[in-house]
Amino acid sequence: MKREQNNLKFYGLLIVFAVLMYSCTDLEIEQSDSIIPEDTGGGFSGVADPASSIGDLYNSFYSNLESQENLNAVNVVTTDEQLIPTRGADWGDNGIWRQLHQHSWTPAHLFILRTWNDWNQNAFRASEIIETSSTTVAEAAEAKWQRALSMYHVMDVFGVVPFRGVDEGPEIDPIVLTRTEALDFILADLNDAIAGLPSRAAGAEAYTASKEVAKFLLAKVLLNKHIYNGSGSADNADMLQVMTLVDEIAAQGFALEAGYFDLFATAPDSESIWTIKSSIGNRIWNGMHYKMTAPDQSGGWNGFSTLAEFYDLFEGDANTNYVGDGQEERRGWVPDAGNADNTTNFGIGFGFLIGQQYDETGAALTDRQGNPLTLKKQFPGIVGNDETTGIRIIKYHPINGEFNQHQIAFRYSDAHLMKAEALWRSGGDPTVLVNELRTLRGAQPITSVTEQDLIDERGRELYIEQWRRNDLIRFGQYTKDWEFKLPAAVGDETKNLMPIPASALLSNPNLVQNPGY
Amino acid sequence: MKFNLLKQLLFLGIMLSGSIIFAQTVTGTVTGDEGPLPGVNVIEKGTTNGVTTDFDGNYSIDLASSDAVLVFSFIGFTSQEQAVNGRSVINVQLAVDAQALDEVVVIGYGQTTVKDATGSVSAVKSEDFNKGVIASPEQLIQGKTAGVQISNSSGEPGAGIALRIRGTTSVRSNNNPLFVVDGVPLSGEASSAEGSDIGFGTSGAKNPLSFLNPNDIESISVLKDASSTAIYGSRGANGVVIITTKTGKGSQGGLFEYSAALSFAKAADTYDLLGKDQFLAGLNQFGLDATANDFGSNTDWQEVVLRSTVSHDQNISYSNNYGDGSIRATFGYAQQEGIIEKSSLERLTGRVNANHRFLDDKLKLTAQLSISQTKDESPPLSGSAGSKGDLLGSAYSANPTWPNDPTFNLEGNRNPINFLTYTQNESETDRQLLNFSAEYDFTTELTAKVNVGYDHSNSTREALASSLIDNAESGTSGNGAGFINDIEVSNKLLEFTLNYSKEFENSKLDALVGYSFQDFQREGRNVEGWGFTSENMNQMASDITAAANEAQARIDGSYQQYGYGPNLPNGFINRLFPNETNDLNYTNATVRSLVGNTFDFTDELQSFFGRVNYTIADKYLFTATVRADGSSKFGSDNQYGYFPSGAFAWKINEEDFTGDTFSTLKLRLSYGITGNQDGLGFGNFVRRERYADPSISDGGDVNPPGLTSVSFANDKLKWEETTSYGFGIDFGFANDRLKGTIDFYNKQTTDLLIKTVSAQPAPQPTVFENIDATVLNQGVEFSLDYDFIQSDDLTWNANFNIAYNENELQDFDGAISAGTIRGPGLSLAFSQILAGGHPLFSYFLRQFEGYDANGQGIFTGGVDNQTFVGKSALPEVTAGLSTSVSYKNWDVSLYFAGQFGHYVYNNTANAFFTAGNFGTARNVIPSVLTSGESTSAEASVSTRFLESADFIRLQNATIGYQVPLKEDGVIKSLRLTLTGQNLFIITDYTGLDPEVSTNPDNAGLLNDLPTAGIDYTSFPKPRTFTFGLNMTF
Repeated sequence: MKREQNNLKFYGLLIVFAVLMYSCTDLEIEQSDSIIPEDTGGGFSGVADPASSIGDLYNSFYSNLESQENLNAVNVVTTDEQLIPTRGADWGDNGIWRQLHQHSWTPAHLFILRTWNDWNQNAFRASEIIETSSTTVAEAAEAKWQRALSMYHVMDVFGVVPFRGVDEGPEIDPIVLTRTEALDFILADLNDAIAGLPSRAAGAEAYTASKEVAKFLLAKVLLNKHIYNGSGSADNADMLQVMTLVDEIAAQGFALEAGYFDLFATAPDSESIWTIKSSIGNRIWNGMHYKMTAPDQSGGWNGFSTLAEFYDLFEGDANTNYVGDGQEERRGWVPDAGNADNTTNFGIGFGFLIGQQYDETGAALTDRQGNPLTLKKQFPGIVGNDETTGIRIIKYHPINGEFNQHQIAFRYSDAHLMKAEALWRSGGDPTVLVNELRTLRGAQPITSVTEQDLIDERGRELYIEQWRRNDLIRFGQYTKDWEFKLPAAVGDETKNLMPIPASALLSNPNLVQNPGY
Repeated sequence: MKFNLLKQLLFLGIMLSGSIIFAQTVTGTVTGDEGPLPGVNVIEKGTTNGVTTDFDGNYSIDLASSDAVLVFSFIGFTSQEQAVNGRSVINVQLAVDAQALDEVVVIGYGQTTVKDATGSVSAVKSEDFNKGVIASPEQLIQGKTAGVQISNSSGEPGAGIALRIRGTTSVRSNNNPLFVVDGVPLSGEASSAEGSDIGFGTSGAKNPLSFLNPNDIESISVLKDASSTAIYGSRGANGVVIITTKTGKGSQGGLFEYSAALSFAKAADTYDLLGKDQFLAGLNQFGLDATANDFGSNTDWQEVVLRSTVSHDQNISYSNNYGDGSIRATFGYAQQEGIIEKSSLERLTGRVNANHRFLDDKLKLTAQLSISQTKDESPPLSGSAGSKGDLLGSAYSANPTWPNDPTFNLEGNRNPINFLTYTQNESETDRQLLNFSAEYDFTTELTAKVNVGYDHSNSTREALASSLIDNAESGTSGNGAGFINDIEVSNKLLEFTLNYSKEFENSKLDALVGYSFQDFQREGRNVEGWGFTSENMNQMASDITAAANEAQARIDGSYQQYGYGPNLPNGFINRLFPNETNDLNYTNATVRSLVGNTFDFTDELQSFFGRVNYTIADKYLFTATVRADGSSKFGSDNQYGYFPSGAFAWKINEEDFTGDTFSTLKLRLSYGITGNQDGLGFGNFVRRERYADPSISDGGDVNPPGLTSVSFANDKLKWEETTSYGFGIDFGFANDRLKGTIDFYNKQTTDLLIKTVSAQPAPQPTVFENIDATVLNQGVEFSLDYDFIQSDDLTWNANFNIAYNENELQDFDGAISAGTIRGPGLSLAFSQILAGGHPLFSYFLRQFEGYDANGQGIFTGGVDNQTFVGKSALPEVTAGLSTSVSYKNWDVSLYFAGQFGHYVYNNTANAFFTAGNFGTARNVIPSVLTSGESTSAEASVSTRFLESADFIRLQNATIGYQVPLKEDGVIKSLRLTLTGQNLFIITDYTGLDPEVSTNPDNAGLLNDLPTAGIDYTSFPKPRTFTFGLNMTF
């Protein structure tokens, strides 16, 4: 009996041992919550669902363009239209904003790194879609537009554009396209995109690409082509093509539209060519004071301001911006005790906010220290500010909804001004085109258009729409002096390109730092 | 019970038969401290005549001669001799041989004795554990072992803990050692969800070990060097902590034990903030409008959010050693309150440890079963709170004239009581750790063992903020927001070992081979809801749960995510493997927007290992181990890593030439390679696609995500390796009355697994790579133990340990910023850089020189000039001193801990205690008013807020009294204790406590690098007094 039991246990153990040996695993992971493409040995085997990947890449664009940091900071805060002064302890942020406005950024700057990472990553994801065999022609056209936009931003900000094949793993150092090579690459993608994308008429929902969206970007690239290829002066054929492209866009019903601040509400309009589907809250609140009325308490950040010299580009009283101060429509207006209300403005103005601010009942606001909230044109310095210094800019207004997913990326009046500029660059007279816009915006017509008039008009029409850096460089004015720019940076042409981020240089030996850094 | 009876009958039979046949018989009972001792050898001296005691400690021996001497011996007890002298009954009480008991240390897949250990292993027994309120096992051995740094990152009950053995080896977030509970290696991943951002920032996961009842723990072994950890191969690089739970072994005849503790706690320190009058006077002093900022009340906001607490802990256990086996069953309930409102930990634990021997003791079956339920309640604290601060940040900076009223709202500010009242964060974790093993002795030399372990936990966290919360981010105010995070973790272990041990004439061989397979499955869901109709947070929790469950029930087939929102009234479903195509068509009026996202993945680890111990002449000890670990985290080329080690020890005191000077003198040499793969995550070696994480916009809109690559796949990923060398000497004098250990070590971690910047263009900004850099840790550890007084009535002993560690990252070209600093005007600020030639967590700061005439800060080299300042957050020296005195029934023990040579960045002061903050009518500490700083000055990140974190703390003091009891009473023993924890601290640090580390969740980490040495509104540490009672019956 005992013997048998003993044997039984022994065999039991043997069985367990055998089971254990069979449990030896090949250590392969299961496809449980992610798609793991089968390894066919040939490297990249395509994205699983091109349409879904295209959709996610749009989501990436939206969040990249929604942020007040990164690309927006590079294109807006490094110019004369915006600065974020340090206010007491607020907005110091390790100097990250000051460096941009002062042109003292270094290759270690976080926003510059993120701009590099964001848009190169977008380009790679577009390549993956393009290189997938199941991608349809229309999908490939859309992905090529996505890649062109992504590479355009890299080329515009950094000059060179790295390129990685879709089957190249982390051990491969991407090749680096010169700015001219990148330009050709982008133009080729855009032409393919225009050929394959459907047209979309004005007034329709404009969250995705269309022939017109791609044409707008092509016009933008061509207008800047002489900067990108270093030729120094615009080519007449390119300018002609810019004008043609704008006319083709107009043929789909896009046109200048009256009611400047209504363009930034959500109602369909004839100007919006491409809108991004992300909340406009960041655009609204970055400059508003903490105590300004916020219907849902999201509230102001009291940061972003503009320079007095930029404000002075506009007609009107130099020191106040209440109704009747002689301003043109685009400078907006500030409600006062007489016209602040809870139904049309919450007491918050439109455009440029200067002077005493009011709440929705018409009561004068104070800052958090109890002083009158009188927004001042001048700054004591880029640091050491109180809460009231700096004129604030607001284009999207909370009265139209604080979190609408409707931020304009490409707008017809930009196309219109591109056409005017192309005309001027090819020797024509753009006065009629410029005055067409000025009259619509309630500004005095001008008798003849100079180069300075063109860049100023672009500033007045397109302020804080992320084009200022690009415009100033094209007009040779990005290196001019403005308040708080470091003297050493004035006239320094190397600032026209951002440095290759330090960690990017380390990651890829094929990259060479831009001159001056 | 059956065995019990059988034994007694058998024994009766022997007794009877014995008395009939022989005339000269001695009988008696052998007892130990805790009752009868079975299995004691009773031998007639000088003969082979001997018996063993039975289950009740009784023996009966027939003597060969009338002047016999009986020798009573038993492992773990001091032997005793008794001359018979004609007596027929001899009862003996054996004394515990403390030294012998201390000697046993549990090592990987076995045990050894301190004297025979070749590696650097420390064991702490339950009687030496720290007393008082212990939320989690590692606190039991805090400061007990040289080279083991255990830091409570905060005073929150159940908070995560940082445990570093011989320095910090990994640049990723995983530096905790491997924990092995009763032979089951636990997963290094958290078993509960991190805190989601409901409008004020995120927080790290809770302590994964808090499911263990500290009262159930018998011993904790710390394996420090590679020669002892290499048997755990790829998981040994950070050291191994082996937790062994109590069994019924020492409790013959059944023993009940009841222990209870009642604790009182309050904050050990608070900030000296301005009161109403000081605050208003200060505003006037700075030319600010005091009238406009006087809201009439006088509120001490720290008093509002802090509290004095009462906690209790009850445990009852039954244990019984019935001869062929033993059983111990325990039940514990602990309710620990945190000193901040809405923080608590409630734990219910049950455990059964049983073993039984069959077949003439050849087969031993063991079961260790534990279940626990832990409920955590967390206040609205965050390691990543922005400018308005979290609950503590807002309490420190709130205007003292605000009323203590949750409805008081001042735009742009955060009212602490509003914040406290309208948030709720609760989690519940149910965990079962089950372990069965069968051990069979084929021969006296060969033993086989099968071990099956199952560790399962199910955790739900509900984080809610009601629409009544003011000035919260993410559109929470006015709408309400909530998160449900469910995680289910299942780890399975199968293990087989064969052990061969044989004694030869002058040597001894002990060999072990084994196979182990473990898999780690994690699945769960993250649900976010926005726009609640209810303001009641319990109702909100059930609304969001119901909405998520209903939405899931409507989905046919498998899915990754789903959601709906006002802009998406029909909802969406994202399916990875579309086998069905129905639409969601669901919205729920109680939660306007909802997104749910699921995950489910399994990692596997397969290992083969072996160890040989060979001892010659009990003087020369050799150990060699090897483990081959295969992990599913790597591609097929690099799946297996091989981790060998070797060690040699020489017991010099056994040599004739050493004479009697030393009672112990042992030299140890060790070498080994261990690995690390923790923190790498699932499937980074292969291209995978998943739908991006869904989210709800501030306005409630839901944009369905699309498919995207999960990571930048790197099929070249391989093991991170740590090569260690060690050299140690153990010494003891006067029968080890004075004994000590000194150890030198050098650890070099190479092929560092780190997330580096991808060479763009790439699918992700970062990629996991093995980089060719080295993290060096080298140091020395020293411990000394001395029994000053050893007498019957009075004993006094002291133990001192100290360790020095030097840490440096070498051969690394990059410079990765880390150590995010947060607060008003401090977005995107950081304080540390990971760079070659510097220790990890090296500070990179502006050098603060004072203020200019305008009260603006002066910094060396300009306002934006940050440099390395030659200081790190890692302590160079850690030390512990414990001493205990006993006199008759009384005993007193004290334990001091200290850490030196490191620096803490006082982010709390940087964020809140500056003139600039006072300039916005926020409260500050008095020194701000006299510092000379202007209200318009920027408080940039600088050496101004970097402080030495050296400290000495009286961590624990206990007075105990053993109540004298009648011999035959029902109660066998009764002990009363009074323990004080965190009684005082000596430090120059101006914050609340220098032993601190604020941890955001993983997404809140800058460049995925862990944080250390950042003090940002950390949960204050309590000072605790505990009355304890322990009785057996």
